[in-house]
Amino acid sequence: MRSRRSAFSWLLEKEARELLASRSWWVMLVAMGPLVGVSFISAVRTYAEASGLNGTAAGVGEAFSPLVGVWAPTFSACEIAAAFLLPFVAIRLVSGDRQSGALKLELQHPLPAVARIGAKAIVLLAAWTIAIAAPMVAVALWRAYGGSLYTPELVTIVAGHVLNAGLTVALAAATASLTEHPSTAAILTLSVTVGTWILNFIAAVNGGAWDRVAGYTPTAMVAEFQHGLVRLDVVLIATTLVGAGLALAAVWMRLGVDGRRRASESVAVGALAAAVVTACTFVTPSWDWSENRMNSFPRADEETLRHIHGPLRIEAHLAPEDPRRTDLERRALSKLRRVMPRVQVDYVSATSIGLFEQTSAHYGEIWYELNGRRAMTRATTADSVLETIYDLAGVAAPPETDEVFRGHPLAVPPKGAAAVFYGIWPALVVAAAFLVRRRRA
Amino acid sequence: MCFVVRRVVVARSPPIIFSLVLQVSHLAKRYGHVTALDDVSFSIRPGEVLGLIGPNGSGKTTLFECLAGVLPADGGVVLRDGQPLSVRDRSSAFFYMPDGIAPWPQQTVRWALAFAAGFFGNVTKRTEPSDLHLTPLLDARIGELSKGQRKRVLLAVGLLTPQPVLLADEPFDGLDLKQTREVGAALRSFAQTGRTLFLSIHQISDAARFCDRFVLLSSGRVCGEGTLDEIARRAEAVRRAPTDTLEDAFLALT
Repeated sequence: MRSRRSAFSWLLEKEARELLASRSWWVMLVAMGPLVGVSFISAVRTYAEASGLNGTAAGVGEAFSPLVGVWAPTFSACEIAAAFLLPFVAIRLVSGDRQSGALKLELQHPLPAVARIGAKAIVLLAAWTIAIAAPMVAVALWRAYGGSLYTPELVTIVAGHVLNAGLTVALAAATASLTEHPSTAAILTLSVTVGTWILNFIAAVNGGAWDRVAGYTPTAMVAEFQHGLVRLDVVLIATTLVGAGLALAAVWMRLGVDGRRRASESVAVGALAAAVVTACTFVTPSWDWSENRMNSFPRADEETLRHIHGPLRIEAHLAPEDPRRTDLERRALSKLRRVMPRVQVDYVSATSIGLFEQTSAHYGEIWYELNGRRAMTRATTADSVLETIYDLAGVAAPPETDEVFRGHPLAVPPKGAAAVFYGIWPALVVAAAFLVRRRRA
Repeated sequence: MCFVVRRVVVARSPPIIFSLVLQVSHLAKRYGHVTALDDVSFSIRPGEVLGLIGPNGSGKTTLFECLAGVLPADGGVVLRDGQPLSVRDRSSAFFYMPDGIAPWPQQTVRWALAFAAGFFGNVTKRTEPSDLHLTPLLDARIGELSKGQRKRVLLAVGLLTPQPVLLADEPFDGLDLKQTREVGAALRSFAQTGRTLFLSIHQISDAARFCDRFVLLSSGRVCGEGTLDEIARRAEAVRRAPTDTLEDAFLALT
């Protein structure tokens, strides 16, 4: 009788079985425990000490947010795993078929290549979801310690790491399809990852257009999610890149198609992705889902700023590596851009570090221009930036209406976490691997 | 001396066209400056066991891969009842079982057979593990099988697929004499169910034992096609001497 299951469901089962048979997957799962453990234990200990544990001055940690104090460092283990472990799992799943000859058999089913790579992507995403169980155990421990949990910011941070994993999977799938051997694919994937780090470094030194491009690297993307910020342009660009990577993998998976045709299709995919990415950079909506609204001005200020029309231009004479420029960006301009998408910011500097520009009369000046009126300050705080803009616009500063974020200090040591992450988690994963292998034998 | 079989068939026996399952016409493939297939043409009839005979490097595997669409051909077409088949549509006509592969090495034979039947959507289960003496191997992992055992598993996988023509690359390679005869008998009985088997064989003696007709391939060119008698007559015409065996005929025509 004809099988009632669809070919796609057979393929999904096959990919799942191949994943379970993959040592790289089990190694990644085992490693997630200690990776998360070392980050979580260190973060909770620091958080506890700052909150008054062991005699720290009371009140120091009162404005502490678990998002920055605990979850960002704990989930950073996922970033390491996505960069250095997940690519091998993905490459194993994509290259394995070509290496064993299974691809030649499976390609003879008229299933579209997109469906084939889709099945692999779904299974890899499921694999990553299981791997994320390790930081979720940390969440459970935190709750057991009596720690505060703000679900929206936790969901945001998990979404960021899922999106980052999607980028890794797409990149690894594309390189595994493009190359003949898994080791070449691994080298290419890690080269791209290192390349994005170099891009971040160049952006930090040179600023300008580099800075704008570097804002879309996986590292920068994850950093924003770790601060509870969801930018639609970032989400759309990451999704586009994931789609493009998987499409490239699908194109090169079709061994029976002429190489020139596959190359021209790849160029078309690249051009389409570039066009969509460029268009997405003009998308401005964003959402601050952090409990302490760390990415936003107070609500009253945001409302006032929304009523200020006319293009605002800011010219800051600060070098890329000047700490004041970093302050200005983080404390004020990044928040300002979310409310006033038409703000134009130009940085002016002759050097990257600005050390020898200090003697220049204009160095350190920040000029504001709104509706033909100009003003200059040297202050880089959010309050000074807002005050200057209100002066130029001729509006009064609104009274503060937001409740002050009091924080969630927790002076509790990470009891039992070491046993969980260094002992129980690896033991459970090894036992599961053993049972799965024995059951299939 | 080579000749293009399709032209002969079409020109001299037009009615045969309608009984043909498939015609391969002017297939060509180059790897850079090396010609792997050159103007390859022949026909495939329903329910026959067709042998592709040729020495190592003659282009047998390339021909199968081009037919199955897992390797792009540089030219030529495959016709079904006179109508060209697109590369995509060829997957509904041919199933190609490569030589020397070990697919899904971590999975059991039992699962591989279930997957082959399920994934490729076999309408009728026309083979059983016992046909190829696979019952004792059902719970073994494919990656742990010997070359001969793996070959039998792959043949079973191929026989579970629904396409009317099975292209099997070196189906007897790695099998001992007893296994060769058993597998050959199983294949012959399978062909009697109506499915066409196209077997690439470099051991001419094996081919002569199991195949109904033959396509002789040398240096990427078809040098003969037909039954043993037809090829022998062709060889005698070239050699001007009696030809008793397929080996002699092959040597005479290549």
